[in-house]
Amino acid sequence: MAVYKRTYAAYEGSFTPTWSRFLILPRYSFARLWQSKFLVMFFMTCFFYPLGCVAYIYLANNLSILSSFGFPAGRLIKVEPSLFLYFCWVQAAFTYLLTAFIGPSLISPDLVNGAMPLYLCRPFSRTEYIAGKMSVLVFLLSLVTWIPGLILFVIQCSLAGWEWTRANIWIAGSIFVGMMIWILVLSLLALALSAWIKWKIAAGGLVLGVFFAGAGFGTALNSVMRTKYGTLLNLTEVMFTIWSKLFRWQADTGISVEAAWICVSVVCAICLWLLVRRVRAFEVVK
Amino acid sequence: MSDRIQVDNVSRFYGEVLGVNRVTLSIPPGITSLVGPNGSGKTTLMNLITGLVRPTRGSIQVLGISPADPERLFRVCAYATQFDSFPRGMTGFQFIYSYLRLSGLPHADCQRTTAFAIGRVNLGEAAHRKIAGYSKGMRQRIKLAQAIAHDPRVLVLDEPLNGLDPLVRAETIALFREFAAEGRHVIVSSHILHEVDTISDQVILLSNGYVVAEGQIRGVREEMSEHPMQVIIRCTRANLLASRVFEQDHVVEVRLHADGGGLLVKTRDADRFYKALNHLALDGVGIESVAPADDNVNSLYEYLIGGEESTR
Repeated sequence: MAVYKRTYAAYEGSFTPTWSRFLILPRYSFARLWQSKFLVMFFMTCFFYPLGCVAYIYLANNLSILSSFGFPAGRLIKVEPSLFLYFCWVQAAFTYLLTAFIGPSLISPDLVNGAMPLYLCRPFSRTEYIAGKMSVLVFLLSLVTWIPGLILFVIQCSLAGWEWTRANIWIAGSIFVGMMIWILVLSLLALALSAWIKWKIAAGGLVLGVFFAGAGFGTALNSVMRTKYGTLLNLTEVMFTIWSKLFRWQADTGISVEAAWICVSVVCAICLWLLVRRVRAFEVVK
Repeated sequence: MSDRIQVDNVSRFYGEVLGVNRVTLSIPPGITSLVGPNGSGKTTLMNLITGLVRPTRGSIQVLGISPADPERLFRVCAYATQFDSFPRGMTGFQFIYSYLRLSGLPHADCQRTTAFAIGRVNLGEAAHRKIAGYSKGMRQRIKLAQAIAHDPRVLVLDEPLNGLDPLVRAETIALFREFAAEGRHVIVSSHILHEVDTISDQVILLSNGYVVAEGQIRGVREEMSEHPMQVIIRCTRANLLASRVFEQDHVVEVRLHADGGGLLVKTRDADRFYKALNHLALDGVGIESVAPADDNVNSLYEYLIGGEESTR
């Protein structure tokens, strides 16, 4: 072997904390997402309903304004826990569509371009990669769900006073937990489909389809088998069951809250399994 | 810290598909070429060394670091894959910068090292253009730049010379030599046997997942006793030299060139042949040149792998 001059000197500077590295991934995803005017417009649309709720809460706490116009407002306009449940329900519908737009473009381009080895041949794990991609959805969906939800709650608290706040403080937890579960389910579902379906439009369609097909199949199963457990295939109903429990609302979805939680856990586990199977640095050519 | 890459009885199966089987290697610093036909296990071996694939059996140590410890491994190791694998929409600068950030370098260091790496592969002018608009050669160079950006001690490069024009190829090979001269490992896979022959300090020949030969090209060649060494001699009195050469017991075949100005000799003992040739030259045969005809990677490939390929 030849004799080498050993002049190599490695990088000796500092490193960023390991936990923060996954946050590098969203920066380019956000930059790309905001290039779409349609997405920006749709994102803005997601805030119309929260603004309407703000107006409602304001009016409910300032009935004299309505009374001056002759409306019997006292009996009609009240801020109850159901207001926040419906808020979650409506915003969940927006996030559902938002996820169908955003989700498919997160992982599939990296897989199509064979970029996984590039990501993973660094001190960067598959878990961090998935966390990085998921953070895009979690951040955007949070902006239109629990963050405005908590803002509404704070506004109501400030207008209604200490008594109302003390009696209803649990609503804040319900908003946060309910919406985070929804975001988790949606994000995992979108990422899993993005990892397995390379064609963006098909993946987006499937995100929508999973809910519709599940609902249809569940209803069919209920009719044929004369059971109520077909409803577990209807993710919308499953989530509504959980939210209803969180918001102390009587929902007649036909399934127990425990069954709904198990269903959500199973869906998340399947999505994680699909992601782990697909997000890896190599492909086997048979 | 060890200065070698140790691969100890490593096997990797993808279900029923064989990646590599019972591979044992000890790779010293310098330029090491992985040579073999498609599906021979070159990329799998690279993936194993870089920890992207875990071995089914056996163990690997890269400079004493296990590939299962990416935090330490990728401080000293870099990998450029065979395929164009660029996240969409990035410029060359963003591409390298973002991967340095993923490696944990702070912003200022990333800016500086990105600019330096791009400069080393001569892509300065195209640094802020989108990679989607790059030529094949530019893509190869930006991949190389991302690999060298964090100044690794082990460079693993899958087909790094594909698509490069002759000038850039020469520059890239010069860069490899520079790295090797600094005591780094440069592991390249290539199908361009001529270049492998030119640049490699050692070669690893793979076939069907097995290592069929490893070491310095000449050393490997000398161990292949079933294929006598071929030596081309250009001389003035070829007939006389042929008759004298054929008297040697280790010479198995002599062929005269059609023009009568030289001969091809096949010998089982090259060292003894070269000694004998010195004596013959002193006896009045005018020898113009002596050159080994099959002392290169091409011949190794042909002898060791070509046969298997043809029998498939």
